[in-house]
This record gives sequence, structure tokens and C-alpha cells, in this order.
Amino acid sequence: MTARAEFMRRLRAEMAKTPGLFTAAPSPRPARPRERVELLRRELAERWPATLERFRAELERVGGVFYRVPTAAEVPAVIGDLARARGFTRLVSWHEAALGAECTRGLAAFGLDVQAMPAGVPAVPERDRLRAVVAAADLGLTGVDLAIAETGTLVLLSGAGRPRTTSLLPTVHVAVFDKDVLVESLEQGGLFLEAWHEGEAPGERGAVINFITGPSRTADIELTLTRGVHGPKEVHVIFVEQGVEGVGGG
Amino acid sequence: MSDTAPELATPFRERAGKALKDDFLQQALEIATTKFITLRREAFGDFPAGDALRDRARAIKEATLQHLDRYLDQLVDNVERLGGHVHFAATAEEARDIILDIGRRTGARMAVKSKSMATEEIHLNEALERAGITPVETDLGEYIIQLAHERPSHIIAPAIHKTKGQVADLFARELGRPVPADAEALTAIARAELRQKFLDADLGITGANFAVADTGTIVLVTNEGNGRMVTSLPRVHVAVMGVEKVVPSMTDLMVFLSVLAKSATGQKLSVYTTLVRGPRRACELEGPEEFHLVLLDNGRIDQIAGTLREALYCLRCGACLNVCPVYRQIGGHAYGHTYPGPIGILLTSMLKGAPAVKDLAHASSLCGACADACPVRIDIPRMLVELRREVSEEKIAPWSERLAFALAGRLLRAPRLYRLGAPIARLLQRPFARGHTIRRLPGLAGAWTRTRDLPAVAPQTFQERWPALERERP
Amino acid sequence: MSPRARAAFMVTCLGDLFYPEVGERIVRLLRALDVAVEFPAGQTCCGLPLFNSGYHRDAAEVARRTVRLFEGSEAVIVPSGSCAWMVKHEYPGLLAGSPDEAAARALASRTHELSQFLVKTLRVVDFESDVHGRVAYHDSCHLLRGLHESEAPRALLRNLAGVEVVELPGSDECCGFGGSFSVRLPEVSTSILDRKLANVEASGADCVVACDAGCLMQLRGGLGRRASRVRALHLAELLARPRATRAGGGPRA
Repeated sequence: MTARAEFMRRLRAEMAKTPGLFTAAPSPRPARPRERVELLRRELAERWPATLERFRAELERVGGVFYRVPTAAEVPAVIGDLARARGFTRLVSWHEAALGAECTRGLAAFGLDVQAMPAGVPAVPERDRLRAVVAAADLGLTGVDLAIAETGTLVLLSGAGRPRTTSLLPTVHVAVFDKDVLVESLEQGGLFLEAWHEGEAPGERGAVINFITGPSRTADIELTLTRGVHGPKEVHVIFVEQGVEGVGGG
Repeated sequence: MSDTAPELATPFRERAGKALKDDFLQQALEIATTKFITLRREAFGDFPAGDALRDRARAIKEATLQHLDRYLDQLVDNVERLGGHVHFAATAEEARDIILDIGRRTGARMAVKSKSMATEEIHLNEALERAGITPVETDLGEYIIQLAHERPSHIIAPAIHKTKGQVADLFARELGRPVPADAEALTAIARAELRQKFLDADLGITGANFAVADTGTIVLVTNEGNGRMVTSLPRVHVAVMGVEKVVPSMTDLMVFLSVLAKSATGQKLSVYTTLVRGPRRACELEGPEEFHLVLLDNGRIDQIAGTLREALYCLRCGACLNVCPVYRQIGGHAYGHTYPGPIGILLTSMLKGAPAVKDLAHASSLCGACADACPVRIDIPRMLVELRREVSEEKIAPWSERLAFALAGRLLRAPRLYRLGAPIARLLQRPFARGHTIRRLPGLAGAWTRTRDLPAVAPQTFQERWPALERERP
Repeated sequence: MSPRARAAFMVTCLGDLFYPEVGERIVRLLRALDVAVEFPAGQTCCGLPLFNSGYHRDAAEVARRTVRLFEGSEAVIVPSGSCAWMVKHEYPGLLAGSPDEAAARALASRTHELSQFLVKTLRVVDFESDVHGRVAYHDSCHLLRGLHESEAPRALLRNLAGVEVVELPGSDECCGFGGSFSVRLPEVSTSILDRKLANVEASGADCVVACDAGCLMQLRGGLGRRASRVRALHLAELLARPRATRAGGGPRA
């Protein structure tokens, strides 16, 4: 391998041959993105119904399924129904601090075998056990940190009680969200990304942010669109009108 | 280690000819490229901001390259601060050695890979195998061609040259049981097979579509979810990335995400965009214990001040392949190198030098469809002409061709001599012309007449007619 | 009375040798539009074949000759999109830093591809045609993507009485000519042409129209070989004369 200093020296030597070639500049960075995000949230709060409608349309376009319920207390019934229709019983979920307790309360009553993820990080044997449980699960229940209407995209931050694989390994991904996490565009999403990275992230933040736009898909065999090649085969997204406690904001 | 594919033993024209005669390939290319073109057109038709964002994306690439040292330093510092390790590879060989070293040190037996042109470029799989680490390609298309011991024929659809019947045969051979020739069933089989590999693998190897300097984030874009698997389940994650993939900020990243998938597959966004910052955090239940970023030069840095500088803007979306009339006829394998299509000719020259593309540089009608489709508006035809210039001026082109063009150059500067050309041609064409048409010519000119009629030189050229025409003047 | 405009005609090498009748038509057409046409003697070729094959020193010398040849002209009319593009886009670069640079830039700015000159400079779109029937338009690459022109030729065709313009699928796709490409890789070039001609024949057109002698040579070559009933014509071959109007003179767009 080449040492960093040598690598960079060669790079600078080549760059020196092209001084002032272009006047282009990268995108202007938002100053104080957290403040900007708060402003944006207030702005968006006034027009969330239109944003939600666009999100629904785009989500359905990419093969997602949209539900709307008045309160979080109705969420378990929606999940129970879709599990029963598919003969599914094994559900893993984010920790209730990351999801809101109401969404998972009562799931057992629908015959579901629920494994919630721990808020802390247990010892390796327990982590291995949990990994096997997630890998075998039929349903993975998560919250949503951002829902982007332009593309029908869910943005999920990994972290304490919100592992990466809950939305990845189970056959079906179920996500619960509310109007507080709705944004209109990728550009607005970019502002949130800037805000989330402003200063140093606190200890509860994980290393991964995932943008999820519908179920896993491939067209690698004769361009035939097929769902669920590695990730979930189905994505179900439940909008809770009166809000989900614990979800959003990263 | 040889960088030369077996195909390269035959000249390009023959490889192309073979592809033209492959009926299945022809049909597959027609269906695939037409579909991609339509999907791309619809995606941008539906997106009025598209043109402005493409300009923006290009400007960001320009600006980043202008200050590449600053952004790379920033990226490296941030990745290291987050607990990741950064390695610098001047050549493909160095990159392979770095990765093999990581594999050996961590006792890796199996590596799962998500689709990465950079690891194709450095021929990593063969090296891993020789070191006793089993590489498993997990992108469905890449998995298929790995089973077939072939190379990708398209940047984003690596196995478009395979029928589902051929895929079923490959799977059957691998699994030792019969398999139905049905895309859905085959995908389900791959899911089950590869799921276990994700869980068992020690090493996860990825490329990077982008890296955000400001935050030390590696960005992976996939549709299948294998990029997420590979960065979540194995103990060690290695990302291999060309130095030009760095972008300054998250704000810039969103500009690229807005145009990338639309250009590649016509999706508004690919299914998964995964932003990875270093190894697993203490608060996380899962994720790799080690994160390594391999920064790859392999000819790129030389082009920062070179004629191919603009090729460093490439996002690897494949849009230029789909619209290229040559690619649409011959497919990816005939090009004979890792990167096919018009951009592939430039990238091959970047990696291997102009002599490696002396024939490929001419594998373009310079129609400009590639530049038109490129999300960052890379002027591919202009650089192809520059490569041709290098090939002629560095005397890489055959002497006979150089002589012919030198003579032509003289002739076109000598109008009296030039005017003599027409009567001479009329004399010479007499045995071959029927009326205004020549149907068959011997020698080199036969290259035209074997498949096309050639107009005969007119009984009177325009210049010969001009005096009469001039007198017509009212 | 002084003419409406003065123009020099750049016939191009293919136009001179293979399609002189197209050049004649253009000259007569321009005269009918009250344009005084000159033909600077000693024309050869714009140098595009040299340029595209990478022989830039030779191409620059050919460019220098051409620039000087047309130095005195007011407007320069070129019946091929590719040659017009060469003069307009590549001459200034080829002669950059030489004493002819300024003249090259000036020539670039007063050089016009034929359809653009008619529609955009003279603002004439109404012509009469001796060719009737269904017509498909093929966008030549340099005119479309080099000079960004897709509308002018179509407008001229649409306004012809007795001509029905039919949609050509993939009209913006290359015909496979590409200059030396057509003989360096003749199999690939022909294969691209086959695709184009299949589209032409499927369109139901009686003739396919192009604004580039290179494309025309390729299209005619292929149509002739397959003994197709479809003809390939240069746009000028459909523009017989300006349509007479009561106002007299060339009708304005």
C-alpha cells in the first residue's frame, strides 16, 4: 500500500497542473441546519395533508402498502390482520422507546410471537440469539425518522433499540409514522441530514442511515421485476393521525 | 495476475462480429436497452427540475475535483475519527494486497460482496480465491455471472445476456437439483442460498457510490438490499472506492441521488440508499466491528490534469450504454474490459493507457447520444476524439492508416489536385458502376459495398456544374 | 434592387462528388428567395473526417484554408449538419492561438445549416414540393445534438402541401454512418443501419428525409441494397420552390 502522505503528494502534484480550471462550487451549505429544520417543520405542518397524499401515491407506485389509522392503539390490529392473512406469527420490533409503546401493546392478542429489541447492547451470546430470531422473523416493526413524499421513501436511523436488520431480514417490513416526520422532497431530506450531522452525534446514534423506497426488488433475470430478493418482500406503512410517541427526530 | 480477459485474444472487430451473430444476445440487448431508455425518458419527463439538477450535479463534480485533496483529507480524517481505517492504493495490485491482508488478519474464510465495479476493476475475486477466502457475489446478476464464470456485460444489469433457462441450468448445477426456469422461482432460490451466506460470512466487501467528505459517510445504492446485508452482518466491512467518488456534503449528495436512479433504471430513487459511517457504534446491537475504506487511484489521479478528466465525473449509472448504438448492437463483453460502452472506453484508457483502446476508441459513430443521456453531461464523444488523436499522434495507429490520412490531409489542401480526383474516380469506377450506383468494390472499399450500395461519382460534380449554374442567374 | 441577402454556398465533399443535383436545387431555391448566391472556388472538404479520426494537425490546416476561402462571404450555407457543426464548433478550437483564430470565430458565427438558415434567418417555412406522399424525418446526430435543431426541418416538411409527415420511431437514433466508423467497423455500422431502416419501413413512409449527406449515403446505400421501395432524400429535394403568396416574394414565417 501507499502511505497517505505519498498518495496525497502525488494527488496535489497533478492538481497543481490545473489551477483555476473551473469556477464551479459545491452546493451552498445551510447555515445552522438545526434551526432551519425547525423552521421547515413549522412550515410543513401547515400543509401535511397534501404531503401525505403525495407520499401515499409514491409509496404505492413503488409497491408499498399504505394504511391510515386514527391512533397508535389501532396499529396492532392492522399488523394482526396482515399477519393472519399470510399465516405469519413471528414479529420482531424496535425497542418501545424507539417506537412508542402503544404500537406493540396487544400484538400478542393477535397470536403474534413478539420479540422486542433491547435498548442496550447485551453480551455476544444474547446478540447471536437475537440475530437468529430476527433472521427467522416474518415481520419486522420499526418507526420512521423521515418520510419523503417525492419518492415514497422511509428514512430510518440505526441506533440504540433500533437495529439495522429489523427492517431488513424479516419477510415483511411494517413501519409506523406520523405527520411530524413527513417532508416533501429529497432536498428537504438533505436539510435533515445536515442537521443530524451538525456537531457531533450523541452516543445513542448508530452508524447507519437507510433510505428505503418500497420492497426489495431486482430485474436481473430477463428484466422481469421480482420483489424480495434479499430484503423484505413487502413494505407496509401505517400512518397514525394522532401521532406516534417515540418516533421521529432521530 | 493478468488483467487481460480471454476475449482480448481476438481483435475487437471480430469480437463485435461474434456478438452481432448471437441471436439471443441481440434480442436481450434490444429488449433491455429499449426498456432502460424508455424508463429513463419517463423518469426525467416527470421531473421538471431534472435538467437544472444535472447541471448542478456536474458543477459539484467539477468543484470537487478542483479541490480533491481537501475533500479527501476531510473524508479520511472523518472516517478515522469514527473508528474506521483508511488505506491508500496506488494500483489494483496494492488494493488487492490491502484487502487480502485484512482478510488474513481477521481470519476470514468467506466474503460476501455487493455489486461493485471498483472490485471488478481490480479483479478482486480471483485474488480472494487464491488466498483461500471464498468470494460470494450477492447482487443477483453478479451471482449469476459468478456461477457462470463470466464478467458483467452491463454496468447495472450484469447478466442481461443470460436467458432464464441458462440461469436455471447454472442454479441446478450449483445446487445439484432441478430448478424451474422462472424468474420468480430463481430469485427465491437465490434469496435462500445467499441469505445463509450473508449470515455466515466474515467479510463484507462493497464499493461506494459516493462518500461524503463532511461526515465521513460511505453511500451505497442498491435495489436488492444486499448492500445493507453486507454492511450489517459480517464482522468486517471493506469498502473500495475510486478517489473521484467523494462529494463535499450531504446537501450535494441529495443532488446526485435525485438524478442517479432516474438515469440508471428510471426509478425516482433506488430501493435502498445506505449511509454508513464507520464500524458499529457502542450503542448498536449489530454491525461490523471493523470498517476499512480503500481509496483507489489506479490511473485516476493521472487524469486530474489529463484529457480524460471529465470521465472522473462518471456515476456508473449505465445510461450511456443503453443509448449507444454500438453498445446496443454488440453488448458489453465485446468491449473486452471491465467497463463497457462509451464511458467504458474512456475508463479503460484511464486504467490501462491509450494503446489498450486503439481499436475501441473508434467503436463509436460519435453520435452524441451518450453525452445527451449522461446525468453529469460528460462529453464522451469529445474525449473519444481526443483518444483517437493520441492514438494517431503517438503513432499507435498503424502506419498505413497514418499515411492514408496524411495524404488525404494534403489532398484537401490542394484544390487543383482535389478537382482531378473526380475524373480519375469516374475512370476507376467504370467497371463497377451501374448507372449511379456501385454495388461491389474490391479491397478496402469493399468494407462499404459488402452491405451497402455506394453512389458513383456524379458525371458532373457540383464544381463542374457551377459555371453553368452561375450563368442561370437572373 | 439589391437582394434580400448574400450567401456563399459550401457544397461539402460528399455533396460535390455524389449529390451535385442537391446543391443545384439549393442554389436555385435560394435565388428564388432573392438570396444572391456565391460559390467560392477551390472548395474541398471541411476536414471533419480528419478531425474525427484524430488527425488534428491536418484538420487544422484544412480548416485554415476553408476559413480563408470564405473570408469575404456574408453568410455561409451548408447543406449538411455535420459539416456545419465542424465549422461552427471545431474550427475556432482547431485554430486557437493562430492568426486565423478571429476569422474562424467569425466564420463560425455566420455559418448556417440549410434548414436553420431558411427557417431562422430568412424566416421562410412555406415551400412547394414535387415529391408527394408520406415522409419520415431522420434527425442527423450533428444537427440534432450538435446544433440542437430538431424543429426547423420538421416545420419545413409539415408545411408542404401533398406531403404527410409520419412519425419515425427512434428518429433521433444514429443511422450508423459516423464517417470512417462506417468502414472501420462495417458490420456494426450496417447493423445499426438495419435497425434504422426497419423503423423507416415500419413507419409506412414513402421516403425518409435527412439533412446530412453522410446519413443520406448510408440510408440510400442500405435501402438500395435491400431493394426497398422507400427513397432517401435530402430535405432540399423536397423544397422545389417557395410557395407563391398574394403578397409576393418569399412568404415569411
